[in-house]
Amino acid sequence: MFVQEAAQHGAAAAEGHAEKFDAGATIIHHVANSPMDEPLIHLPKIAGIDFSVTKHVFMLWLVAAAVFVVVTWTVRRYLRQERLIPSGLMNALEAVVEFVRDDIAQPNVGKKWVFTWTPLILTFFFFILAANAIGLIPVFDVIGLLDHYVLHTGDGSFVKRLLHGGTTATANFNVTAALATITFGAIIVAGSRAHGFVKHWMNMVPPGLNPLIYVILIPIEIMGMFVRPFALTMRLAANMTGGHIAILAILSFVFLFTEMFGRAVAGIGVGLAVSVPLAVGISALEILVVLIQAYVFTLLSAVFIGMAIHVHH
Amino acid sequence: MTGLVQFFAIPFGLGMIVIGAGLGIGKLAAAAADGIARQPAAASQITGAVNLPLFLLEGVAILAEVFALLVLFLGK
Repeated sequence: MFVQEAAQHGAAAAEGHAEKFDAGATIIHHVANSPMDEPLIHLPKIAGIDFSVTKHVFMLWLVAAAVFVVVTWTVRRYLRQERLIPSGLMNALEAVVEFVRDDIAQPNVGKKWVFTWTPLILTFFFFILAANAIGLIPVFDVIGLLDHYVLHTGDGSFVKRLLHGGTTATANFNVTAALATITFGAIIVAGSRAHGFVKHWMNMVPPGLNPLIYVILIPIEIMGMFVRPFALTMRLAANMTGGHIAILAILSFVFLFTEMFGRAVAGIGVGLAVSVPLAVGISALEILVVLIQAYVFTLLSAVFIGMAIHVHH
Repeated sequence: MTGLVQFFAIPFGLGMIVIGAGLGIGKLAAAAADGIARQPAAASQITGAVNLPLFLLEGVAILAEVFALLVLFLGK
């Protein structure tokens, strides 16, 4: 979709039309959520909040449904079979579950609470991994090409509206903020279950210090309580957006150079020599980032939950 | 004033953030490599111990970058 649109811009520039290729606007259009005035499904406003389904909400549902169906289907098929030797997808699933339980959850939350918190941490891991990874697969660009050459749907159709905006749900700060809010709640629940509700809040500062120190310490600890999920939010969203922006910026060199020299050969040359190899390299890096960010989010959630359970000053 | 912020202050700040984060990550990586070279048996433990401060450091750097870009976009 990016290529198609930019190619039109490039062609226009090559023919000497005045329409300039705006790299910034094009990139933002391909990373941000679909605009509020043309969502996928229009829904009424309730209490001043627009409940219309946008691209990122749609992706969120798609990812959640895909993860739910694939995981439950795999596990049920495994439970139905005669011999208890996992095969195929179940093998991979088991390896990941074991990794999350033994290397992320257990060292942080401890042996006693590991089965209380592993489900939450596993859910985070699978959801974030799937949502991140789906952003790397150009599903909607293929749909766009199909639409352009085969389907020919009208202006404003569902397929056309599907092409606006980015595909990575976790690149949206609102999505990651919601995930981090769950962590925020989980920290409080973990502390309350381990020590009791009042004791959890008392645990935030070490006991038996000079009263004057508490004047400084308590505001700092309260700030820290909110900064942790905020950092989680920003880290995931910024990492997912950053990689996509880098790839798009490098690809937009093609059209910038076409425009600069007024001919398509310059752009194609730059594309073949610089843009495509660099974009491939960054895409490879993105695959790593997708895995690492899913791991980081779950690890830090586990660490914060563990800090509420094992208080030491 | 906007031009000064846009073309000097924010790129300068972004560069400073990168220098700070690079120094921090470099120190961590150097210490980890050193430790693993001395005691290869403890490699997994050392990696585990290095990971957490690494991610926290990265988080701070990303927060700073996000705020710098917010100033750029919202300050217009």
